[in-house]
Amino acid sequence: MRRILAIARKEFLHIIRDKRLLGVILVMPLIQLFLYAYALSFDVKQLPTATLDLDRTTASRQYIDALQQSNYFLVDGVLTSYAQVDNRFESGADKVVVVVGAGFGNDIAAGRAGNVQILVDGSDANAAQIGSSYAGALSRVFGSKVAISQIEQKGLNMSGAGGLTSSIRTWYNPEGISAAYFVPGLIVVLVTMITVLQTANTLVKEKEQGTYEQLIVSPISRIELMVGKIAPWALIGALDIIIIAVVGILAFGIPFRGSVGLFALSSLLYVICTLGLGLIVSARATSVDSANQLGSLIAFLPTFMLSGFVFPISSMPPVLQWLSYLFPARYFMVICRTVFLKGGSPAVLFPQIAALVVFAVVIVVLAASLYRERA
Amino acid sequence: MQLPWTKTQQTRPNTSGGDGDAIVVSGLRKTFGDFVAVDNVDFRVKRGEIFGFLGPNGSGKTTTIRMLCGVIAPTSGGGTVMGYDVVNEPERVRENIGYMSQKFSLFQDLTVDENLRFYSGIYGLTPEKYAERRAYILRMADLEGREDELTGNLSVGWKQRLALGCATIHEPKLIFLDEPTSGVDPTARRQFWELLNDLANEGVTLFVTTHYMDEATHCNRLAFIYRGTIIAEGTPQEVKADLTADTILQIAVDRGEEALAALEELDSVDEGYMQGSLVHVNLGRRGAEDAGLREFLVDRGFEVGAIDRVEPTLEDAFVHLVTQQGGRA
Repeated sequence: MRRILAIARKEFLHIIRDKRLLGVILVMPLIQLFLYAYALSFDVKQLPTATLDLDRTTASRQYIDALQQSNYFLVDGVLTSYAQVDNRFESGADKVVVVVGAGFGNDIAAGRAGNVQILVDGSDANAAQIGSSYAGALSRVFGSKVAISQIEQKGLNMSGAGGLTSSIRTWYNPEGISAAYFVPGLIVVLVTMITVLQTANTLVKEKEQGTYEQLIVSPISRIELMVGKIAPWALIGALDIIIIAVVGILAFGIPFRGSVGLFALSSLLYVICTLGLGLIVSARATSVDSANQLGSLIAFLPTFMLSGFVFPISSMPPVLQWLSYLFPARYFMVICRTVFLKGGSPAVLFPQIAALVVFAVVIVVLAASLYRERA
Repeated sequence: MQLPWTKTQQTRPNTSGGDGDAIVVSGLRKTFGDFVAVDNVDFRVKRGEIFGFLGPNGSGKTTTIRMLCGVIAPTSGGGTVMGYDVVNEPERVRENIGYMSQKFSLFQDLTVDENLRFYSGIYGLTPEKYAERRAYILRMADLEGREDELTGNLSVGWKQRLALGCATIHEPKLIFLDEPTSGVDPTARRQFWELLNDLANEGVTLFVTTHYMDEATHCNRLAFIYRGTIIAEGTPQEVKADLTADTILQIAVDRGEEALAALEELDSVDEGYMQGSLVHVNLGRRGAEDAGLREFLVDRGFEVGAIDRVEPTLEDAFVHLVTQQGGRA
């Protein structure tokens, strides 16, 4: 125990002495948090919109006012003819053009559905998708009296075909704030990168310095060395999780609906997995450079691409879906999002937690056996 | 199932306090694939001895040390270190030895004190013992008042002495030193050997590898290892004894390497090599004053200075032994 403490204390000293490393541990998560939360935002607000009112009645003006008052559209252009639509799209001035058909006012007055056409620039798929749904929703609010025909410029129109009326209600994140979706995911990504990369480095560095040679001729056992080395990083991993969670909750208004205990337990399990992975890399790598490369490959690709952080796993090709089961990030991602946004009881999250337990055991046993091997 | 400690006591009767040899090695062998790094090596090191383990790079010195420290397992054979079996009790071996390599094994980003404290923790020293050893090591390494300096900022002589202090913080009775002086300036080397002699006078056994032949003369006994085999063993005098009847000439000549190449063609020259800028040639038992070497060299356009008959050095002995093995040093 005293030996483990000696190693852990030494590792802390290394970290405190290394200003760059401190920055990576404490500042980088915050920078990334703000970067992702703002730049990677999928929220669409204030879509630049032009209107073409062919009806010019009170009813049509009311409709356009309603558009303008919603936060989703920024009406910045009033067109007088269809010919101008192309120009608005091509210059990029607008993403949406709303055309109120002639006779709109009369139809409404007569109790018929008024005719509105929504043209969307499909080259910005995300804006197009959201713009068309909002405009549709808005029209329904206007009194279910507006018949909408949607046309997506430069792309196929997938929605709005047929006469179906769908009503969509988003649970857990009703305003569709991307940050609520990203921040829990970001916890997974950042913690993985920091813990895997740093532990991957730690042992190779000692090998290059020659201090490893000294340690293995001392009475310390490989397991003591391993535990002493990862203990500080487990704490730092926990610290990073807390920082991101707290900033996410305070600065971005992310809810935390689940159990803190459950979240702490699964975080612990996950950090054990990533630290173990780092140690495996470190035991096998021949230089700091190769440890860094291998570490980032293991840490970055699976967590970024295969965890569901950016791309939903369910829409991946089957091979990648299958592959994603092999990395613990996938399970922790589900746990994080559930705990923050939905709540989630231990029973609901049991499969994910069980998977993390299995991974933790397998990885630790593997790392320990690699360490016990005589060099 | 046998309990580990009962087994320990069976294989190690009566050696812990011991006056048995510090190191006993028999039939020690290590292969890496087809490569034989150490080939059936036998030797003994007595307690309190400075034992020099000499040989060119790649001859098996470090591999032997690693086996003796219980870091790698021998392919066959084995030995005891301070009475503990290197194969079955590597943990006990490691508790009872110190080890210092040419890399000094200090953490450069830690202060002098933090390095000492770390190694004290690794060896499980009590706080009282640590305070005592810390004071001793700081005095020994001439680092009093510099406890809070970063180790990376120390110059090499201080680093080396601090490394020795860290490696001996638990007061081992046997210390392995693997080329401890390579890359260190001559003054620091001399100071370092004074420290080693002090340790030896206190009864500590020292197992030193070096390729500085002048350092080998500090040793009580030597073993030469070449291509994994021990080719000579004994006191420095015994190792040189084989050569004392030989005539060894030291020749001052310009273009020494070319002169050496020319001389080696002569039948009268058994062995030759460069000693600094001078050429050493061994004429065997022929005893001739200069065997016509001066004329031979002058004829070939060399400028020849003094030619002196010299006492064989350890280096001469080493070249001689290696030549007998059919190789070149």
